[in-house]
Amino acid sequence: MIVPCSGIGKTYGTVSREAAFEVIEDLRPGSTQLVALSLLVLGDEEARAAVGTSPTVTIDGCKLGCAEKMVRESGGGIYRSFAVLDTYRRHRDLKPDGIAELNEGGLQLAHALADEVVATVDDLLAGDEAVPHA
Amino acid sequence: MPELPNRKVGIVACSGEELAEGTVTRLAALRVLHDMRPSETVTICLPLFLAGGEGDRAFARFYPTIAVDGCEKRCAARATEQFSGKPAAGVVVSDLVREHGLGQPEGARRLNASGQQAVVVTAERVAGLVDELLGAKWDRRTGSLVKSEVTPELEPATPSDDPPQAGCACGSAIPVQKVDVDGRTVSLVALPLIFERFHQAGKAPGADVADELLGMVKVYNDVPAGADEAYLAALAHEYAAFCGEQEAPR
Repeated sequence: MIVPCSGIGKTYGTVSREAAFEVIEDLRPGSTQLVALSLLVLGDEEARAAVGTSPTVTIDGCKLGCAEKMVRESGGGIYRSFAVLDTYRRHRDLKPDGIAELNEGGLQLAHALADEVVATVDDLLAGDEAVPHA
Repeated sequence: MPELPNRKVGIVACSGEELAEGTVTRLAALRVLHDMRPSETVTICLPLFLAGGEGDRAFARFYPTIAVDGCEKRCAARATEQFSGKPAAGVVVSDLVREHGLGQPEGARRLNASGQQAVVVTAERVAGLVDELLGAKWDRRTGSLVKSEVTPELEPATPSDDPPQAGCACGSAIPVQKVDVDGRTVSLVALPLIFERFHQAGKAPGADVADELLGMVKVYNDVPAGADEAYLAALAHEYAAFCGEQEAPR
């Protein structure tokens, strides 16, 4: 399960969302699924079951870490948590801008983040890391 | 002098990532926040009602709030009511799509033409609701509009020449103070700012000032009917303590 933050006030939230879409639609469409954070906020049973029974990767746009916190509060086991800012620190040349629509730097940053998420998904699917970690 | 925020309307979008309608809510909210009513609106990320602090949860008690939902599950409206306060109004994209006879929005990541049309229609509806809410007083308890004179402190913000930007309340939680009212602990939104403002205006603790404080507290909080006396006593006590702290040697 991939759970991005639904950050609406800053560009990093949009990067988180775009990276999640890239993973589930383009890079690993058969082996990943997206869970909407709003459903977890509301305590939707199906969404809670999804993160409660499958390894979950969270992607947060800011230090408030809503996606990670909400999955934990929903009883889900987090396999790995990503933060857009960490990826940005590794790719300073990719400066994101725009919330409704990302600039080229934002799209490339989302792509770099999606690659990192995919590497984790592949590790998980290969059974290389049996124990979830944060 | 600390400024109490000008009156604004809160917008909470579900942003649901699983449906195209969720993306419509997000883009419509941003359109209103960025382009249509930048000086009159503010937003917060929905998960902060749970993942944030008490100040974040005060959002819908502080701002009359419009919940913008993609589908009938109405996650934004229900979660806002459950964790923050009853929204003043709500919009559901799937209803608007039916009302306007639009095609089915598709593409949560990249909206199709119907989705783009739905963004325009939804943003227009939300902007209309913003105007309606700013033109009337909102009763936080009932979540309905009531006819009343507008309190000067809550006049709509004057449009400025500043470049438009989304008013994001994340990380700038509304200050809340817990107060003992007749043996019951009550959280009062914006009280620290009100105290600071009064103190810096040179208002000394006393009966008249307590009356004035209660008037300001009522702008941002529900004070139950018949509880004025208890609130006056509590505010007088707390404000005297606040002034004592400010004036104590450090």
